[in-house]
Amino acid sequence: MNSLKTNYTLILFFIILPVLTSAQEKPIGLEVMQKVYDRPDGNDMQSELAMTLTNSRGDQRVRKIRQFVKDMGQVEKKIMFFLSPADVRNTSFMNWSYDEIGKDDDQWIYLPALKKTKRISSDSKSDYFMGSDFTYDDLGDRHPTDDTHKILRQENLNDEACYVVESTPKNEDYMYSKTISWVIKDKWIGLKKEFYDEDGELLKILTVKSFSKIKDYWIISESEMKNVQKNHTTNMKLQDIKIDFGIESNKFTERMMKRGIK
Amino acid sequence: MRMKINWVFMLVLPVVLTAQEINLNGYVRQYTGALLQSGNEYSIVQNTLNLNIEQNRNKVALKANPYIYQYPSKEMEFAVREAYMDIFFESVDVRIGKQQIIWGKADGVFITDIISPKDLSEFLLRDFSEIRMGVTGAKLSWYKNDNTFEFVWLPVFSPTIMPAADGIWFPRLKYTVPATVNAPQDVTASLENSEAFAKFSSMRSLIDYELMAGFAWDDDPAMHLIKQVDPQTMQLTGLTVNPQYHRLALGGGSFSTTMGPLVLRGEGAYYHGKYFNTADPKYSKAVVQKNYLHYLLGLEHTLWNWKLSGQFIQQAILDYEKTIDQDENENTITLLARRDFLRETLTLELFSYIGLNNNDALIRPRLYYDLSDGFELQLGANIFTGDAGSFGQYDENDMVYAKVKYSF
Repeated sequence: MNSLKTNYTLILFFIILPVLTSAQEKPIGLEVMQKVYDRPDGNDMQSELAMTLTNSRGDQRVRKIRQFVKDMGQVEKKIMFFLSPADVRNTSFMNWSYDEIGKDDDQWIYLPALKKTKRISSDSKSDYFMGSDFTYDDLGDRHPTDDTHKILRQENLNDEACYVVESTPKNEDYMYSKTISWVIKDKWIGLKKEFYDEDGELLKILTVKSFSKIKDYWIISESEMKNVQKNHTTNMKLQDIKIDFGIESNKFTERMMKRGIK
Repeated sequence: MRMKINWVFMLVLPVVLTAQEINLNGYVRQYTGALLQSGNEYSIVQNTLNLNIEQNRNKVALKANPYIYQYPSKEMEFAVREAYMDIFFESVDVRIGKQQIIWGKADGVFITDIISPKDLSEFLLRDFSEIRMGVTGAKLSWYKNDNTFEFVWLPVFSPTIMPAADGIWFPRLKYTVPATVNAPQDVTASLENSEAFAKFSSMRSLIDYELMAGFAWDDDPAMHLIKQVDPQTMQLTGLTVNPQYHRLALGGGSFSTTMGPLVLRGEGAYYHGKYFNTADPKYSKAVVQKNYLHYLLGLEHTLWNWKLSGQFIQQAILDYEKTIDQDENENTITLLARRDFLRETLTLELFSYIGLNNNDALIRPRLYYDLSDGFELQLGANIFTGDAGSFGQYDENDMVYAKVKYSF
């Protein structure tokens, strides 16, 4: 009886060990996406964002924003000051995003013409940000547990070894039916991402154009979103990036929204 | 002489700005409106130059907002909407000079938002940034975490600007006999006649709220009437209307919060001792003082990419007497529907005030199109329905308009 038990243990050991070993070498999709989500990017960051919108005729519009982000533990606070075009100058937007699962972001917008700070709902994540090809959801950090992930393959992209991960939303009402991400091994940067619409057709492609190491953090400084169905693109370029600069907590208040960049 | 000074100012301004590295932005706008009745007369043909001049020097800043309204057929208006200096301390800001001060959470309704008086030259049709006038005074803001305490002192009273008496926006007079309307009696500029306001506000994850109080002047004058009676027949033969400003104390508050996809907001104020017109002969000048409540509840939601917003507003006169001209409860709703198209270059909007007491309304469909960044074309209409009430009185003033605006 004991001998049989020992045999079964040995058999199980030899069957399971290679699987475990393989699992350690080839992480499951969730692990890859969790590492992308958890990739450190500093406690605070300020930068100037230039967003160039190009339509199907090649006409371009440029939006410029000065933004500040600070991780305050349970909450990440972000404030954006719109610099151009002229008719939105001095508008500011503030977002408080919480770690607590299920807690919605708090958002406010300051409209200088009305001299009023208005609370807005953060529910419309599928809205496009300032007429760009990025939705508010695309710009945020989607939690990996919101999707189920599968590694499709491993391949090189732009001379970087990547995992190719397919992510399918658990919520069927989500705006994309699936996304496919190319994640650089060991850097945990999403180098490319394809977004598929509700009919399963390719809708948009996000391509990272430039990334670099700033203060030991891998930071994406330029990316481009192309809507392949409507043939327009948005290029997002971060300049004048400062990380762990010690942004004060009082930067993220109504006072600063109204005061603007002084 | 005044015109000459204006042009000298405009010519010298660019030189001064370059020398001092002052930020200059603003807009140029052409605005033409035509009535749908009265042989399609133009209700307005206006060219606007609006400038924002700003300079920031670390702990201090200045802003000036001069503007010009130029009309082909009447005298040009040149004025300064704001001209103030800021001083920034660690947790206190002080703003001194002419400034717009906007309080409250309501859209398009003035409940606790009573510090900056209104310019009603064109009723409520101008942009709200142009309706609210600057007031001369000092504002102190003290910040503690996400809380703010504000104190405002206005040494000089500024009343509402009423439409020209011979213009199409002058309110319809309800008098049944010939009336002579005199100019409002000025409030003497003195320390005793100054206004003071205080506000505590807090912006938190759960809710934003404001609590305010003020000792002010009512921006709108009470219409004191002197009756002329035929001594033989004892019939009323005429009226002399003497508009007078009165002191007004008020306290109120507002809030805004989200409930999932909904934004809920409310605002209310208690006005102590507001004057109302009355037909009761026991009041010699046909005015009576009553306390008064003004409040609203509003909801905002986005549905199928349409931003939808509605507000219910009630004005309630306390200890009401049936002879008072205004209804005991006057109810209004506002509705807004707005949607962007073509990557936010085209916007469709429908905004309405609907008066429930008189079944009247102001319906404002608008279309905005950005020809390029900062260059906007706006087409719209202002439709007044009903026979009486705040909006029905302008039933003859339905209009269509076009605005072209270049921002820089």
